[in-house]
Amino acid sequence: MNEIPEFLRTEVWHPLSVHFPIALLLIATLFKCFAIFSKAKTWQNTGSFLLYLGTIGAWVSIFTGDMADGIVSRELCDPTVLKDHENAAWMVVWLFSAASLIDILRISKIVSLKSKFIRAVAVLLMLVGSGFLMYTGHLGAKLVYQQGAGVYQPTEDCGEFNE
Amino acid sequence: MIRKNVLNVLSVASLLFVLVACGESTDVVESGTYEGTIKKVEAEKSEIYVETTDDQTLELYFIDETELTKGGETVDFSVLEKGQKVEVKVEKVGKRLDPLTVKILE
Repeated sequence: MNEIPEFLRTEVWHPLSVHFPIALLLIATLFKCFAIFSKAKTWQNTGSFLLYLGTIGAWVSIFTGDMADGIVSRELCDPTVLKDHENAAWMVVWLFSAASLIDILRISKIVSLKSKFIRAVAVLLMLVGSGFLMYTGHLGAKLVYQQGAGVYQPTEDCGEFNE
Repeated sequence: MIRKNVLNVLSVASLLFVLVACGESTDVVESGTYEGTIKKVEAEKSEIYVETTDDQTLELYFIDETELTKGGETVDFSVLEKGQKVEVKVEKVGKRLDPLTVKILE
């Protein structure tokens, strides 16, 4: 009889970690967009905080995704979706890392570029990054819901759940 | 001033385009035997990328059935290195390529 696999197995760390940066980075982008039109510093400061936290989360997700890749790739019927997912995810981390770096440079006043322009560039990077983030998420969902990536398939009689 | 800003925005857009173009891509081929060169080895995943003679990149994850040989003898995965010439026999399952045999040619 099959045994129910351990829940916290290697490939499960990715879905456990990936949803934090998705939420944080999308909301960070929204806050930074509001900050363009508002004089209240709350949007700008909270947006920065969410951006840094989300970017760290995105790097963690890249790491857990790489761990999962080695396991699920052998079971997928179309690993090209996984490759596209991986490439898009790398775009997300680089774009948001660049936006974070620009934001840090702006706040610390290391660069003397006109603040409004540099803010606009950071927001542009975040908007493009959000597009890639949604595409990455879409491909991730395709991997799970179309190909069962990392998902345990119970036996037909569910016998392993009887104990 | 506006022209300078437009130029700066265009520079950022170009950088984005370069980043997009940098993504690694792989190809799906029919079941069969292919010759090529190892482009990359990912030992912790037992995975290799092979660039075939007709410029296609095959991403191959070794499976339990994969036979790795050199000079007719079975060898360990750790023998594989970037730049080695190999002959691979792959089976296409869906769009996945399962390597059945990998022969190191040099």
